[in-house]
Amino acid sequence: MDPITFSIIRHRLFRVIDEAVITLKHVSGSAITNEGHDLMVSLYRADGSLLMGGVGFLHHLTSAAEACKAVIRRFEGDIGEGDVFLTNCPYTAALHTSDIYLVAPIHHEGRLVAWSACFVHVYDIGAMVPGGFSPDSRDIFTEGFSSPGIKLVEGGEMRRDVMDTLLNMVRAPEMVALDLSSMIAANNVARERMGALIEKYGADAVDEACGALVDQSETLLRKRLRELPDGRWEARQYFDIEGETCRVLLAMTKEGDELTFDFTGSSPQSHYGINCTYWASWGGFFAPLFPLLCYDITWNDGVLRPIRMIAPEGSVVNCTRPAPVSLATVGTIQSVNNAACTCIAKMLSASEKYAEEATAVWHGSHFAIFMFGLNQRRQEAIGILTETFGGAGGARTWADGIDVGGEIPNPIGRMANVETTEATFPVRYLFRRARPDTGGPGRWRGGNALEFALVQHDSPEGGINYVVSGKGTEFSMSEGLGGGYAGAPCAYRWVHNNRASEAGRNVNPFPTSLDEMTGEAETISWGVFPLKGEDALYVRSDGGGGFGDPLEREPARVQADVEAGMVSAEVAAAVYGVVMANGTVDEGATAARRETLRAARLAAPVAAAAE
Amino acid sequence: MSGKRISATLVVNEDRAIACAACGHTLGPAGAPWKDHARLDEQPMQGAGGNPYTNAERVLLRRFFCPGCGALLDTESALADDPFLTDIVRV
Repeated sequence: MDPITFSIIRHRLFRVIDEAVITLKHVSGSAITNEGHDLMVSLYRADGSLLMGGVGFLHHLTSAAEACKAVIRRFEGDIGEGDVFLTNCPYTAALHTSDIYLVAPIHHEGRLVAWSACFVHVYDIGAMVPGGFSPDSRDIFTEGFSSPGIKLVEGGEMRRDVMDTLLNMVRAPEMVALDLSSMIAANNVARERMGALIEKYGADAVDEACGALVDQSETLLRKRLRELPDGRWEARQYFDIEGETCRVLLAMTKEGDELTFDFTGSSPQSHYGINCTYWASWGGFFAPLFPLLCYDITWNDGVLRPIRMIAPEGSVVNCTRPAPVSLATVGTIQSVNNAACTCIAKMLSASEKYAEEATAVWHGSHFAIFMFGLNQRRQEAIGILTETFGGAGGARTWADGIDVGGEIPNPIGRMANVETTEATFPVRYLFRRARPDTGGPGRWRGGNALEFALVQHDSPEGGINYVVSGKGTEFSMSEGLGGGYAGAPCAYRWVHNNRASEAGRNVNPFPTSLDEMTGEAETISWGVFPLKGEDALYVRSDGGGGFGDPLEREPARVQADVEAGMVSAEVAAAVYGVVMANGTVDEGATAARRETLRAARLAAPVAAAAE
Repeated sequence: MSGKRISATLVVNEDRAIACAACGHTLGPAGAPWKDHARLDEQPMQGAGGNPYTNAERVLLRRFFCPGCGALLDTESALADDPFLTDIVRV
């Protein structure tokens, strides 16, 4: 195929996805889709393999391929033009039941030529708790509707019996119907645009270009891997749930042009819904791999070919049915993602050519708060606070992490305005801002984390409920790199009776920090809680990992951080060894302080003796 | 410091030894674990980076220093009984 035609077809495929995503967002009415961009649309080849991955949550690109393949197996001989299939079974392909895949075959002149697939986190799925994150579930059976594959649309006609059955099992069925409609619309647009592409260039030419595109990605990734040194890198993630400590252990081995991700030694599957299934782990490490190693390579099946995964069955990274998984996306999947980010970053750091592509971990905890209850218009309101997409950036090898900068698995995710949330739920924000001293110290500082507080406001029921899936309160989950510290952990506080007066202290109805709140602050981390009366919810997410030695940070940068309120003067002196006087760096005192800190380091025991 | 880069802070020198990229102090042979040769400070992660470090008391911040110049070579978050993470680069 001539390179011009190949390039045009490649770009047209990108645009097919872009247009389908726009359609999905236009039809969907939920903040999690429109603001958080918690969605994905991608194209797949006739055999279900990934052809063109779109942006959105990247761990879905490979899982949706498994959804296509599962439908192909299940419905062999019964896949027709205009059909749309639904699957959300985590033990088939999905990450958790709330993330529904709608996959649609694309035919040309009666022949199956491709698939489009998309997902959104639907408004509700009928789990124990509204919204789908179900911390009290101890098995998949209490995590809502789950289908390994069902035909939702047949020959372009909605199967009302199927749709009605599904909507009969969920809360706020009108919103779930809108979610499903948005995905059907996205698939329709993808099918139409693919049809137009094939009409113009011919089915054989498009298929040839698609095959070449997949081969090209494989060739380019293998070439990149050969440029990187061989080796074996380890990473470890901890998370804490209700007194249970889990580990995700990863050893990533690179030999020649192949990579193996080995999770041997990871904890047995959990009693709580933070587990992930095999395909969820598979997708979990591709989420950082795509942007960190394949930033200039088309994300498709060719990228998958040099990659292998070892995930022990019955472990937290490959749980067995009926283990609960409803919080997998903010649970083990995120830790798989973090561990992979660390190993890939260490591999990149070992290369002169690619060292600048390395990054410390971003948004390691992926904290998440779901809210549910009646809103100020007496409508049932269910949804995630989109602050969950406002993670703290990890430091790069050449720049600080971005404060409240986002996350790697979803490069285009964002959080909604305060006003959007206040219009959706009966709540009022007391404050929302970046929290100083949360970014991991380093030559390049990790991005600072978000902190915010909410109270109920104008609620017809006196308040609303929220779900906390708060791992990452005991352990820092955004690891540093090359000597950088991990970011600060999360914190969740249920402030009881925020307007309670205290002796000698005025009650402030508009506190602008946790310290200004009166009333008892109870530490919480897991479960369903009320936000009612005069109570408040305070949340602090985790900071991004730092890069490099904090004593190597230029004093002027530390001064700028102190001036901006991003680092306290205490941390500047204690960790960075930078002494401030009258708002500027005291160079003499700083030199002396850093010398003292280095001397203490040299007085530390040799590790072999200390171990 | 000349040598073949194996991490952000370490190189393999002409004698096939792992060395600090800042000062050249050696930390064992190439292709072998190096952390045992470093100086180690283990402190609670709690408070390590400021007040928001509200980690559980059992969580440790491990810092591995170059014995030659005191450069911070690597960090780990760890529980006390967990082994050092081992990275092996073949150059």
